Amino acid sequence: MSEVQAFTTIEEMEADTAKLTEIACELCVETYEERKKAQQPQCKFGEDGICCRICSMGPCRITPKAPYGICGADAHAIAGRHYLRMAAAGSACHSDHAREIAHILHRTSESGPFTIKDPAKLLANAQEWGIETEGRDLYDVAHEVAEVGLMEFGKPFGTLRYLNRATEERQKVWEEQEIAPRAIDREVATSLHMTNMGNTADAHALVRQSLRVGMADGWGGSMMGTDFTDILFGTPTVRETVANLGVLEENQVNIIVHGHDPSFSEMLVLASESKDVIDYAKEKGAQGINIVGLCCTANEATMRHGIRMAGNFLQQENVLLTGAVEMMCVDVQCIFPALGRLKDCFHTKFITSSPICRIPGSTYVEFTADDAGNAFEKAKGLVREAVENYENRDRGRVYIPSHTQPAVVGYPTNQVIAELDGVTNSHVEDDPRGSYKPAIDAIKSGVLRGAVAMVGCNNPKVRADYSHIEIMKELIANDVLIVASGCAAQAAAKAGLMRLDAKELCGAGLKRVCTLVGIPPILHMGACVDISRMMLLVTGIAKDWNVDTTQLPIVGCAPEWMSEKAVAIANYVVSTGIDVYLGIEPQVKGSTQMMELITEGTREICGAGYVINKDPHELVRSIIAGIERKRDLLGI
Amino acid sequence: MKKLFDRVFDGADEMYAMADKALAEAVTELGESAPMQMPNTAYNLACFMAYLGKNINTLGDLKAAYEEAKTWNRHDPRLGDAFSSGMGTFMAAETIEACKYARDPDPYKGEYHGHLTDAEVRELGVPLVTDDIPGFVVIHGPAPSEDEAVELVKGYQTRGIFVFLLGGIIDQVKAKGMNFGFNVRVVAVGPDTWQVAHIISFVYRAAMIFGAIQPGARAEFDEYTYYRIHAFVNAFDPVTDLVVACGAGAIAMGFPVITDDEKDMWRVPKSILIQKNTQDWIDTSLEARDIRIKITNIDIPVAFSTAFEGEIVRKADMQIDIDGAKYDTFELCKTADSLDIEDHRITLIGKDFDEFDQGSAIGFGIIAEVSGKNMQSDFEPVFERNFHNFLNCIEGILHTGQRDVLRIRVNKAAYEAGFRAKHFGEVVYAKIMSEYDAVVDKCQVTVITDPETLKTERAAAKKIYDKRDERLGSLTDESVEVFYNCILCQSFSPSHVCIVTPERLGLCGAVSWLDAKATNQLDPNGPCQVVTKDRIVDENIGIWEDVNECVFKSSHGNLEQVTLYSIMNDPMTSCGCFECICGIEPFSQGVVIVNREHQGMTPLGMSFPEMASMTGGGVQTPGFMGHGKQFISSKKFMKAEGGPARIVWMPKDLKDLVRPKLDAAAKELYGIDDFTDKIADETVTDDAEVMMEYLSEQGHPVLEMEPLI
Repeated sequence: MSEVQAFTTIEEMEADTAKLTEIACELCVETYEERKKAQQPQCKFGEDGICCRICSMGPCRITPKAPYGICGADAHAIAGRHYLRMAAAGSACHSDHAREIAHILHRTSESGPFTIKDPAKLLANAQEWGIETEGRDLYDVAHEVAEVGLMEFGKPFGTLRYLNRATEERQKVWEEQEIAPRAIDREVATSLHMTNMGNTADAHALVRQSLRVGMADGWGGSMMGTDFTDILFGTPTVRETVANLGVLEENQVNIIVHGHDPSFSEMLVLASESKDVIDYAKEKGAQGINIVGLCCTANEATMRHGIRMAGNFLQQENVLLTGAVEMMCVDVQCIFPALGRLKDCFHTKFITSSPICRIPGSTYVEFTADDAGNAFEKAKGLVREAVENYENRDRGRVYIPSHTQPAVVGYPTNQVIAELDGVTNSHVEDDPRGSYKPAIDAIKSGVLRGAVAMVGCNNPKVRADYSHIEIMKELIANDVLIVASGCAAQAAAKAGLMRLDAKELCGAGLKRVCTLVGIPPILHMGACVDISRMMLLVTGIAKDWNVDTTQLPIVGCAPEWMSEKAVAIANYVVSTGIDVYLGIEPQVKGSTQMMELITEGTREICGAGYVINKDPHELVRSIIAGIERKRDLLGI
Repeated sequence: MKKLFDRVFDGADEMYAMADKALAEAVTELGESAPMQMPNTAYNLACFMAYLGKNINTLGDLKAAYEEAKTWNRHDPRLGDAFSSGMGTFMAAETIEACKYARDPDPYKGEYHGHLTDAEVRELGVPLVTDDIPGFVVIHGPAPSEDEAVELVKGYQTRGIFVFLLGGIIDQVKAKGMNFGFNVRVVAVGPDTWQVAHIISFVYRAAMIFGAIQPGARAEFDEYTYYRIHAFVNAFDPVTDLVVACGAGAIAMGFPVITDDEKDMWRVPKSILIQKNTQDWIDTSLEARDIRIKITNIDIPVAFSTAFEGEIVRKADMQIDIDGAKYDTFELCKTADSLDIEDHRITLIGKDFDEFDQGSAIGFGIIAEVSGKNMQSDFEPVFERNFHNFLNCIEGILHTGQRDVLRIRVNKAAYEAGFRAKHFGEVVYAKIMSEYDAVVDKCQVTVITDPETLKTERAAAKKIYDKRDERLGSLTDESVEVFYNCILCQSFSPSHVCIVTPERLGLCGAVSWLDAKATNQLDPNGPCQVVTKDRIVDENIGIWEDVNECVFKSSHGNLEQVTLYSIMNDPMTSCGCFECICGIEPFSQGVVIVNREHQGMTPLGMSFPEMASMTGGGVQTPGFMGHGKQFISSKKFMKAEGGPARIVWMPKDLKDLVRPKLDAAAKELYGIDDFTDKIADETVTDDAEVMMEYLSEQGHPVLEMEPLI
């Protein structure tokens, strides 16, 4: 049998982190672990979502002795408002990110620097929105698509255009339950308004709006962000990449791109490929320029350029602690302010680029759509600056952990279909190309038990990446296919679970599917904004199956979530009819009604809800049981 | 709809229940100590051996192993358990069949084929690697009609696909008078589903023989069958749970199932395909198993397929009898000047077949003239020797012999279909142009039946043969600059590599040094590569540094050194498809050689299958060596141990075949006359002690030699 190379264990990853933490100690600088210790015990009222500081009468905290806030709001209202605000903030994040992309699309031109890389997707989007394409200049069409897209944020009437991509049953549910989102910004504003002092105190209504504002993200901002990003920078295809800190190079200029919005990093990648800057790097004694990614910017860049991935959320400090980073360039979201201090221990230059994300200690070089024309030159300037910084690296302080794993990434929905085409038979009538039918047949027959979307962040409340990896391993061993995005995807890549030969860890069913189709058992679908791709994936499967999404043996799982974006995501996934399994409790525990509403109440609205369990092993067992229940209902 | 896995589990339970009963009855009737041996195999109960690593010799062994086999029948709703139950079903099926053979070593009395022998497995080695057999189909019948049954089987046969038949379809094709048997690659295995065990046993033996997979290494068997055995199943409606359980086992091995039964049938991509239109089964199946068939279109009125290579034409069926014993016959391939030949001109000199009476014996000659910028005269005999393979693939034609001693028979059916003399020319033309297009630009063929022309052209051909023999005689390992390797077999035997030298042809007997040279020049990146022999370690026993480097590289690091002329020290490995196997005989300190065709025992107390199982799969086994028949008379044959004088026993047919050359070699090497007569054979004895007496009587030279061990 062919030899299978080793997978990276969680213990090996933790040993790398421990070594880097030691370096931090020597430098007398703290990392998140120490800050977490310093924060203990964390505020119980905050944790339970029952500390209200929405108005200046407060803060009010709910206790058995004081069951109401000064205004009379009870625990349910306080926890519910807090929960909705989180969802609204998350939705605002993805959607504002999408807005920036839409503005970039609006600034595209034939001469660049931002151009159209996927014209077919642009034209498809235009046609979907009834925009004339015949005989028109591509960029004219692009600008109109951008404008129509931008109108989705603030249009005064109607609901979002993308909703009609869903199954008919879903659209009906959304309409009947009055959770179909209107303009994106409106849903965010409405959420803030509803939760303001003296407004909604009914937890049920707050949860319903959480679903709606979540949908404004998943079936609005996120979906647009993904589509427009594909149009601008190309729809991802299958690529080979490498993951974990070992991708930093001892003898090259290391530049980290970190954050979520790829328009800045795209320019940096292009700039680093220019011959003159590469020559310049060599002149400065480096063997080349090594751009590597962190967080979701890594996910975006890897599936479009094969840019290697240094790590996920909780590795951002580790990357700097290697002492081998000439420059860290960040855009938006999930950037530790701690980096502004940590970078002072090294020669590293820390560049912030967005007015959305200003951090003390950083050098601010603004990249916005308004100044899109100069983006490439600015990026090149930064790369040159990083090259110049190479000679300042203190080689005595460099420690790059050796662990890396190869990974095969880049499976947007059309790529999944292309892969499935490979197992159809041209002589069998009921075996069409261009559909999810082969996957459906594999699920119906029981070869695959179902699928799980593994998403979400890292959270110091649990061992970093441990829950992700444990759950993934158990799922694939039980013939459950995984699609992954965000930090979950990176956890899989670092462990080696996105290698083609990771099929050896699978049950016979998933292993056979991986062999026949030629895919890893965990399909990388992109960044956290790309969870909208997963919604289209399940919708496509449901349509080809002729059932509604909520009937499918497919669920979502965010075992280590922490961001408000995750709350928005969880809400749109549930709205889409898909159960979400959480390994971290939402901060509503102080309200029994809220706990009941998010786990059971939403099922009456949209057929799905949360299942919460902090033990990853128990959580994965309940996922498998949930999938089997759905199978039973389908009679398969 | 009944769930797929439930169908598998119920079917498995059904097969196990039958096996329980069969085994209990056999044990009661024969007792646990009764011997359990399938005929002509060294891999007794190959399914048990492959899955459990168990060697079964008695019914008691089977009973114990069967208890373990029961644990494979697991019923969790996961594909892993469906696979395990499916494979368990094969063990249960093998148990049922084994009990049958325990009572009677020939339970089917020729009506069905039943168990397949090791020799049959090995016979397929070469056609499998050359893609002459692109795949296997197991058809589980009955078909909707007899006509459809025959059409399907013939459809596969003409594509070279090896056909195994199970169940009702057998009677259907029999009723239509179809000719079948191992030689035409259509095997009627048995009337019941459980005879599938013989097919699976056949496949696992291929994995052990060619792939050197160790008994019990399930993951390796799975990988071998998935990637290297291009088999698939066609299951006609109705497909019962029992068949579904066997299907699960087949799919576990990588063999897709194509069926027209929709009831409670679940589609699984590339694994279970429902094709209602049975006319499309062949195309559907080949695509499902990723089998691509190279088709050479030949303008003849009968089918052309490697499946017909082993077809026999009996006297009663004969229309034309080309008889080289009584009349002038010959085949010749020669290079000509491009200007002198017209491409695709087929000329007949003499009467055509319709001008002869039915059953006439006649003379016959065929000359292919080829031209091409890169054509070399060394290729001529290579192409010419392949006329045998080309002409034998014609349906209804039997071809034996080469050069100017031929026997070709045309049967009545082929004649009635319109087959005439010039069609031989068409076949030779089409095959030369498709196989050797790298060096042949133009080819014209002359077919001769006119006795006068035959006489003169045969004489001319003879001069060319003599010249070639002279050239061949001058080709020795010392006289050539380079050797070649041959890794053709690596598709089946991944770590085996042959080193082909002028005096040591490939062990399959199919690749001589000239063949390898031609193969290399026709396809420089192909399976035969130049091996230099500049850095001599010991030329006497055949060690070169360059050769070792090549062997190391080509065997993917599995072998470090070979001694080309020794069977004791780092002997050349075998893939498993060797013509002969030789092994040390301890009493005489000589060697016994046995060829694949020989059915009986040898003085080693081992049959061919048992000796053959000692080596193969690219593993070095000192004391045993696979080789081609022609190597026996080579002066390099175990030269390190004293040469052919070590040979103490060979089957009589083999002795007769190699006698002229072996006698000549012995005369030259040792000054002994009629050496072949000193070698014992089965007509003398297959007992070592009796053989020793014979050797003393004959004054066999081995008795004077240094001991081997």
